[in-house]
Amino acid sequence: MAGQGVGRRQILRVLGTAAAAAQFPGFSKWAFACGHVGNADVQVKPMVYSPQFFTVGEYAMVERLVEIIIPSDRTPGAKEAGVAEFIDFMVASDPDEQYGFRTGLTWLNAHSEQTLGKRFVELTPAQQISLLEPFGFKDKARPGEEAGRRFFTTMREYTVTGFYTSEIGFKELDNPSLKFYSESPECPHKDDPEHRHLAPANS
Amino acid sequence: MANKIYDVIVIGTGAGGGMAIKTLCEAGLKVCALNAGRRLDPEKDFRYHRMPWDMKFRGMDDPKRRGESFGYMDNEYTKAAWDHEIPFTTAPGMKWMWPRCNAVGGKTNFWGRSSARFGDIDFKASSLDGYDVDWPLTHEEISPFYTRVEKMIGVASTVQNRPSNPDGSYLPPFRFRCLDRILEAGCNKVGVPYLPDRCAQLTQPHEGHPACHFCGECTTGCDVGAFFSTPYFLLPKAEATNNLELRTDALAKNVLVDENGQAAGVAYIDRKTRQEVEVYGRAVVVAASCVESSRIMLNSKSRFWPNGIANSSGQLGRNLCDHLYGESARGYLPQLLGQPSFPDHVADSTIAWMPRWQNLKDPHEEKFIRGYSVYPDGGCEEFPGFATDMDGFGSSFKREIKRRYPTPVSFGIQAPSLRSDTNFVDLDPEIKDPYGIPVARLHFEWDDNVLKMWEHSKQVCAEVLRAAGGEFEGSGDAPEIPGYSLHETGTCRMGNDPKKFVTNRFGQTHDVRNLYVCDASVFLNCTDKTTTISILAFSLRSSEHLIENFRRGEHKAA
Repeated sequence: MAGQGVGRRQILRVLGTAAAAAQFPGFSKWAFACGHVGNADVQVKPMVYSPQFFTVGEYAMVERLVEIIIPSDRTPGAKEAGVAEFIDFMVASDPDEQYGFRTGLTWLNAHSEQTLGKRFVELTPAQQISLLEPFGFKDKARPGEEAGRRFFTTMREYTVTGFYTSEIGFKELDNPSLKFYSESPECPHKDDPEHRHLAPANS
Repeated sequence: MANKIYDVIVIGTGAGGGMAIKTLCEAGLKVCALNAGRRLDPEKDFRYHRMPWDMKFRGMDDPKRRGESFGYMDNEYTKAAWDHEIPFTTAPGMKWMWPRCNAVGGKTNFWGRSSARFGDIDFKASSLDGYDVDWPLTHEEISPFYTRVEKMIGVASTVQNRPSNPDGSYLPPFRFRCLDRILEAGCNKVGVPYLPDRCAQLTQPHEGHPACHFCGECTTGCDVGAFFSTPYFLLPKAEATNNLELRTDALAKNVLVDENGQAAGVAYIDRKTRQEVEVYGRAVVVAASCVESSRIMLNSKSRFWPNGIANSSGQLGRNLCDHLYGESARGYLPQLLGQPSFPDHVADSTIAWMPRWQNLKDPHEEKFIRGYSVYPDGGCEEFPGFATDMDGFGSSFKREIKRRYPTPVSFGIQAPSLRSDTNFVDLDPEIKDPYGIPVARLHFEWDDNVLKMWEHSKQVCAEVLRAAGGEFEGSGDAPEIPGYSLHETGTCRMGNDPKKFVTNRFGQTHDVRNLYVCDASVFLNCTDKTTTISILAFSLRSSEHLIENFRRGEHKAA
């Protein structure tokens, strides 16, 4: 078979196809994240990132959204992995996606002002989460808000893609792609072919 | 220099061309090989263990390029290796994807490595089910060539005694992962086979090549040559003979003929100077891959061959066949939820297979004739693709992604189209490439038989997944578009009757005795197996036939 992991097919499907090039400015958090994570002795102060596509206001919303989708908790999240920078760069490189992101963010702000009287970034974290729940959870979806759900779904897809293609994301999953092996790895559960009785996970 | 005459001109350095080049050079023949692209440098042109965050677009490539990308192997890690300059067209309403690696070694640099032999159930399929014609040879005849190829390249598998799959000589197989053992148990319940694939990936050092280090990046190029490709395995042997002159960036245009209409050499475009150059030989081997070989031969028009060289049968370019690919089922294995991550991706998808199990005893047992195979895949992939479809957000979402990371599985079908008069390659009457050469035009649609296999596979794979205790989540909406598999065959079919076939049973064209075809275009159809190992075995046999013809004086040495 022309070998091909499910992952790569999916990643290309999600990010679709489009046109136009981008000036590549370099990143602050990408460089920070990939070079020095896990090395406590090295402190790198990130440059201030200037968004290539989003306005400063929009970018603040993107930063907050990715943090909500994949938070920093027991392990680092989208913020540490520089996912907002990734999204800005990908959208800047992809004119087909720009309209959707811009109108989506504008709509979210308007929705926030309409329901809670404040712009999205001015809400408390708890308010932000409860505002987003109808868009992010199927069982909390409300009729008439399909556009909001679509925008949130796109934002979530980009966040997942940005996070799990970062070194931090690889470490989050203990991604085996980081290692080599001297022999073909083998299932360790000799006595349980159907794997019905595995010990529960630690986490 | 302009008048130098080689013994053999070989067009192409992939599986077919590479084997011909090595075999001919080792026999003492002077070979000039033409390759449409450049030599690759693994360190620069292969992935070389770069991680997504090392790449500008995380390995997904510039969005503006993705629309031009032909196939999944043509990605940000290897983008300089794939041809984007030479266009092709499709007949109205038809679709075709045509990834072409024009670098030295061709697609062997990136291939999927599954390496099953064709068997008599394939060669004699027509005798069994009455459709089309038999191949002009038997497994017994080609078997010694397969055995030699298996020794040359190293194939990891087991002896399986399957009626559709002749066994060969194998290195130790890939060992089963958790997901394999779970799916194997499901297959046992349903009554379909689940076995180690035949994977040309070195599970131990072999013939001077190092063992695999199981990084899982095979289809973006191997930095140590632990799976077969012609630049690692064959071309160095040819070069060691000093009988090879390899011309790169040499895009073959047409086969030249002498005053008797026999092959006299090849005209090619030097892509660096953009000038046309001629090179002369006593014999010519065309091995540019199925569709491109047809294009070159169709473009080789002369007063002897007004419809393309060696085309008195009118069959050149006809009978195009392809493998239907698609996701027959996908889902996840709840048994593995929350388990530690496991290196499931180490062979980049070909550890196990479900070799053809349909129509083995009775050729008409199913609603379709012939059969298909399935490649299961899954587990901890480089990217958790399932996560982009998951519901929710926040810490619970993040935890759930980690919990599900080891669990996804999918089943990919590989099913052969049937030969048809309406599937073929011709030259586009209007469109020319940047060098003024008419481009290939593809006419292709899936037939009912192969679409019945697709439907059948969706049912069986869902059943297997459920029997394994898995959760079935769906199937691909439609198969991949034609060409996606990279397994096109059939445009220069071999057969004994010069009126019906382009080449004889040795890949030598009936019309032009010193013209040989050494790629998958000589195959009568795709079968349910992959093509590369058969291209190698058939090319080895054709090359030795060619050498014998030199010895016998049929072709005079230069």
